[in-house]
Amino acid sequence: MLAQKLHLLRHNFLSFVSSRTGSDLTRRQYDVIVVGGGHAGTEAAAAAARLGAETLLITQKITTIGALSCNPSLGGVGKGQLVREVDALDGLCGRAGDWAGVHFSILNRSKGPAVWGPRAQLDRERYRQFIQSELLSTPRLTVLEGSVDELLVSQPNPEEPGHHRVTGIRLVDGSHPILSSSVVLTTGTFLSGSLFMGQTTSPGGRIGDVPSCAGLSYTLKETLGLRVGRLRTGTPPRIVKESVDLSLAQLQAPDKQPTPFSFLNTHTRCKPEEQLPCYLTHTTPGVETVVRESVHLNCHIQQDTKGPRYCPSIESRVLRFPGRRHQVWLEPEGLTSDLLYPQGLSMTMPPDLQLRLLREIPALHRAEIRTPGYGVQYDFVCPTQLTPSLQVKSTQGLFLAGQINGTTGYEEAAAQGLWAGVNAGRTALSLPPMALSRTQSYIGVLIDDLVGRGVTEPYRMFTSRAEFRTYLRPDNADLRLTPRGFEEVGCVTLRRYEKAVSVRDGLQEALMALQSVALSSTRWREKLGNISLSENKSTTLNGLDLLQYKDVSFEMLASAFPECLSPYFEYSQRLKIEAVYRPHCEKQSREMERIRREESLSLPSDMDYLSLPVSLSQEVREILDRVRPNTLGAATRLPGMTPAGIVQLLNYVLRTGQRNRHTEHRNQSSQKEGGKGQLCASNIPISQ
Amino acid sequence: EGDVLCCMRRGLCIPTRAVCDAETIFALSSGHGRCGVAVVRVSGPASSMVLRNMAGLTQALPSPRTALLRRITDPQSKELLDRGLVLWFQGPHSFTGEDSAEFHIHGGPAVITAVLQALGSLEGVRPAEAGEFTRRAFHAGKLGLTEVEGLGDLIHAETEAQRRQALRQMDGELGRLYQDWGYRLKRCLAHVEAFIDFSEDELIEDGVLNQVDSSVRQLEAEIERHLKDERRGERLRSGVQVVIAGATNAGKSSLLNTLCQRPAAIVSPIAGTTRDIVETSLDIGGFPVLLSDTAGLRDSSDSVEREGVRRARQRVEQADLTLVVVDSTQLPPDPQLVPAFLQEHLSTVLPSPSPEAGMEAASDRVLLVLNKSDLVPEEQRERTEGELRESTGLPPACFLSCYTSTGLEDFLTVLQSRVKTLCGDPLSGAPSLTQARHRAHLQQSVQALIQYHQYRDQDLALAAEGVRLALTHLGRITGRVGAEEILDIIFRDFCIGK
Repeated sequence: MLAQKLHLLRHNFLSFVSSRTGSDLTRRQYDVIVVGGGHAGTEAAAAAARLGAETLLITQKITTIGALSCNPSLGGVGKGQLVREVDALDGLCGRAGDWAGVHFSILNRSKGPAVWGPRAQLDRERYRQFIQSELLSTPRLTVLEGSVDELLVSQPNPEEPGHHRVTGIRLVDGSHPILSSSVVLTTGTFLSGSLFMGQTTSPGGRIGDVPSCAGLSYTLKETLGLRVGRLRTGTPPRIVKESVDLSLAQLQAPDKQPTPFSFLNTHTRCKPEEQLPCYLTHTTPGVETVVRESVHLNCHIQQDTKGPRYCPSIESRVLRFPGRRHQVWLEPEGLTSDLLYPQGLSMTMPPDLQLRLLREIPALHRAEIRTPGYGVQYDFVCPTQLTPSLQVKSTQGLFLAGQINGTTGYEEAAAQGLWAGVNAGRTALSLPPMALSRTQSYIGVLIDDLVGRGVTEPYRMFTSRAEFRTYLRPDNADLRLTPRGFEEVGCVTLRRYEKAVSVRDGLQEALMALQSVALSSTRWREKLGNISLSENKSTTLNGLDLLQYKDVSFEMLASAFPECLSPYFEYSQRLKIEAVYRPHCEKQSREMERIRREESLSLPSDMDYLSLPVSLSQEVREILDRVRPNTLGAATRLPGMTPAGIVQLLNYVLRTGQRNRHTEHRNQSSQKEGGKGQLCASNIPISQ
Repeated sequence: EGDVLCCMRRGLCIPTRAVCDAETIFALSSGHGRCGVAVVRVSGPASSMVLRNMAGLTQALPSPRTALLRRITDPQSKELLDRGLVLWFQGPHSFTGEDSAEFHIHGGPAVITAVLQALGSLEGVRPAEAGEFTRRAFHAGKLGLTEVEGLGDLIHAETEAQRRQALRQMDGELGRLYQDWGYRLKRCLAHVEAFIDFSEDELIEDGVLNQVDSSVRQLEAEIERHLKDERRGERLRSGVQVVIAGATNAGKSSLLNTLCQRPAAIVSPIAGTTRDIVETSLDIGGFPVLLSDTAGLRDSSDSVEREGVRRARQRVEQADLTLVVVDSTQLPPDPQLVPAFLQEHLSTVLPSPSPEAGMEAASDRVLLVLNKSDLVPEEQRERTEGELRESTGLPPACFLSCYTSTGLEDFLTVLQSRVKTLCGDPLSGAPSLTQARHRAHLQQSVQALIQYHQYRDQDLALAAEGVRLALTHLGRITGRVGAEEILDIIFRDFCIGK
C-alpha cells in the first residue's frame, strides 16, 4: 500500500491535479455532488465513489484539499476511536495519518485498552498529498475547483417525506447548473463565517481563503427554512521554530514503536527513529496580565457566541480559571517545516499583543510569529433537523456533515463525512438510507447525539459519551464495522473485507483454542509459576479465564501449550484485551439489545402527532411534533416524554403497520440480525 | 420517572424468547393496611429457585396452580418468616407467560416486610418497577387488544403512584441522604471520566484518583452501614395520606378536629390561623390514615404564612386523597352555577394536572367538603345537591357542618369507602415494598463500587464502569443521570484547555 503511494507521488503532483479540473468537466449530471474539500468533504466524496456513485467534489482551491487548517495532529482519546472506525469503513484519514505521522503515541496507555487513544503529530504537507493523491486516483470521482453559489431544489418526490428535493448546484461563475441526485454540504466554518483578530473582523471561513457561501447560506435559511445557530472557534499563532528556546521546555518523546491507525498497515511511513518530539511548557502570570490588559481590544472574546468549553482560547482559560499555570504544547508542523504549533494558545487579540503574550513564556521569550492567531464565528445548521443518515429531513437528497452540524475536530468531521457520503451514494443509487447504532460505534454515538439532542456548543467526542465504552474499543473497530461495511453498506473494498474476515476467523479459532485448554488452578500455578489466582484450588479454569488475570499474558499461556496456542501469536494483544473485556460486554449485551431494538422501530417522519388518534397529552404531542424523533429509541430519550406516551406510540405504530413504510434500513439489520429485529416487532401480538 | 422510563424501555421490545433470560421480579400485589392475607407475586426465570429456597422445597416443585401450605423461611438465615400458601405457575401458563410463583402470607406489615426483604436478597431477583408485571404479560401476548390499550393508562397510574411515593420520601431525611450519595457519586464519576478523557493533555492533578478512591470507599461504607442499620431513616410514613386543603377560613382545622374528635389543631375565626402542617394519625374504618391540615391557600405578605402556603401546596401534591374544604356560604346562590364555580375553585387548590391525568384521574383522589352547611337555607342546599349529582367531571361533594355535625355520617361513609379503595390498591405506596426496592438498588450499588476497587489499578475503563453502574442503581431511586450532566461537572471542576 505504502509503496504504491510512494510510486504515485513521484508524478508531478500539481499537473496531475490540474488535468482534472475546469474545462475538462464534461459531465453536467452526477449521482452525488460534495461541496467542500476538508475532512468531511474528502471522506464523503471518497465514500460515495467507493459505493459506486459518480461523484463530483467541488472545492474553492484544489491545493487546499486535505489541508489541516488548525492543529497538525490526528486522533487522541475518543477521537482515535473515531479514526479507527473511519478506517474500518475504508475511509481515508487513518491511512493518511499513517502516511503523514511524524510522532505517534497511544494516549491513556496505563488506563485500559478500551480508552486507549491512538494519536499522531502530522506533517501537513504529507497529509495533504496523501489525501489529494487518494482522491484523484479514486475511480468515479471528479474534482472541480469552484465556488457554489446556489443549491438547486424542486418539488419533492411525493412518495417520500420532505418538502423539497435537491437537484444540483449552480457555480458562481458558471451559468449551467450541475445536476445530481444528492448533494453533501461540508462547508465547515464558511457558512456566514467571519474572522476576528483584535478589533478587526472580516468575512471568511479561514485566513487566506476567499469568503464563500453567501448564496448557499441564503438557500439553507430562506428557501429551505432551516434553523441555524452560531458558534465560534479559534486557532493559535504559528511560531518560527528557530526563535524558540527549546532547552527551556520539557521534551515529550513519541512511542518507541509507532502504532499505525489503519487496520491495513503493519507499520507507519515514518520510521521509529525518524519521529520528531513535542515539547511541553507552561503559561506564567505575565500571560494572564497581557490577556487582562487586552480584553478591551479583543472583539472575539467580548462576543457571547458559544465557544467550546474544552479547547477554549487562552483568553477564556485565563479568565475562567485565573491564577493557574496552563499547559502549552509545542508541536512540530512537519519534517521540513520551520514552524511550531503552540497547542493551547489559541488567541484572537491584536497581533502585537499576541507577540507580547508569547514572550511572557520563558521558552518563547524571543519567539517570532509567522502567522497570528485568529477567531472564527460561523453558522451551523441545528442538527436535530437531520435524520440518522445525516439527510436534512425536509429536503430529499441533501446531506450535511462536519462543522456545519455543530461539531469540532477533524475526526468528528471525517466520521460524519464518511456516513453522509455513504447515504448520499445510496440515495443516488436508489438504495434505502442506513443508520449506525450507538451500541455499535462511536460514529453512531456521535450522529445519534447530534440528531437526537442537538448541540449548544461545538460538539467533540469523549469516551464518556459512549454507554458501551468497554465494547466500542479501538482494537476491535474492524470486527465491529468492516464486515457490515462490505456486506450491507457497500463502502468497503474486497481487499479490506477479506483481511478483516481472516482476522475475525483467526481470533475465533484462537479463542476456542484458549477455551480448550483447561486445568485446575493448582496445575496452572505449577505451569506458569507464581501467579496469584483468586479461585480455590479445585476450580477448573480454561485459558481464556486465565488470560483475564492482570499478570497473565498470552505469551505465557502459549509457552505452556505451544502446540495448541503458538499459531495465534500475531493476535496475542487482541486476545488479551478480548479476554479482559468479554465478561463485561456479555453483561451489557441485554441493554445493547434493548437499545438496538428501539432504534430499529422507526417513527414515520410524516406522522401527524397533533391529531394522532391515541391518548397522548397535548404537551407530549407538541414535543413529538417539534422534535419529530426518528425512532422510538430517540423518542424515549426526549425530555418530557412519559412512559405511558411511549407505550401509546408503540401500540399505534405497530397497529397501523406503518413500521416499514419509511423505515431507514439499519446498518445492524443484517440478514441474521434484521430477522431478529423484525421478530421483535411482529412477535408482539396486536390482533387477538 | 427516568427510572421508570428506563425500565419501560427494557420491557418494550424484548421478544418472547429474550424474556426468558430477563431478571426475576417480585411485588406485593395485594394492598397494605388491615388485611388478612397478603399476596406476593414473583415472575421470571428464577421463580422456581425462589420457591425452592423460600418454601423449603428440596424435591419436586408442587404441581402447577395448586396451593400448598409451607413454612416460609429466609433463604440466608433460615429464620421462619411465616406459614402460608405457595403456588407455582409454570410458563407460559401464567399471567405474565413466564415461570411465576405466589406467596399468600399473613397481612401484618412485619411479615410482609420480612418476606419482601428476603426476596430482594436473592441473586437475580429484584422488586418490580411500575407496571412491569402487566408489561411482561403484554410482551408474552397474554393481553387482549383492549387491555393493551389500557396499558398506557395503567402505567401512567402506577408511575403517578410511585412519583407521589417518591416525593414524600425525597422530602425527608432519607431523601436528603440519597440525594447526597447521588451527588457524591456523580462527582466521583465525573472525576474518573475527566482523568480518562483529559489527563493526557491537561493538568489534571494526580491526586484526583486518590480522592476518588477514598470517596468511593467512604460511600461504600456509608451505604453498607445504612443497609445494616434497620432503624435509621427507614421509618416511612405509613397509611393513606389524606390532606385537608382549601381557602383560608373555610373550616379546614374544624374538619380535622371533627374527624379526630379532639382539638389537635388550633381553631379560630381569624383567617390564616394555621400556618404550618398539622398532622395526625387516625383510624378510619380500620384503615391507617395520616391526616394533615394545611394553611389556607391565599396570597399573603406574611413570609411565615407564605411558607405555610408553599408547604400546603407541596403536601397536596403528595397526597393520596385531598379533602377540599369550601365555605358553602361562598357558593353562588344560583345552584346552576355551582358546578362551574367548584370546577374553577378546584383548579386553584389542586396542582395543575400532570400531562396525562385529566380531571377524571384527579377526581379519584379528591373529595369536596361543603362546610358550614348550617348557614345555607335548606331548600338551596337541596337544589345544589341536585345540580351536583347531575354534573359530571366533579369529585364527590358532601355538605357538612362541622359546627352542628349535620351531614357527618354521610361524609364519613364516603370517606371510609375512599380510604378502603386506596388501601386495597397496591399502588398507594406500600412502604414495605418501597423499602425493599431501595434496599435492592443500594445493595447493587455497593456491589458495583466493589468493582471499582477491583479494577482500579488494572483497567481504569472497567473501574469507571463500576462507578457508572453504581450511579445507575442509585439513579433508580433518585433519578437518572446522563452523560451531559457528568461533562458539566468535569468542565466546572477542571480547566480543560487543549
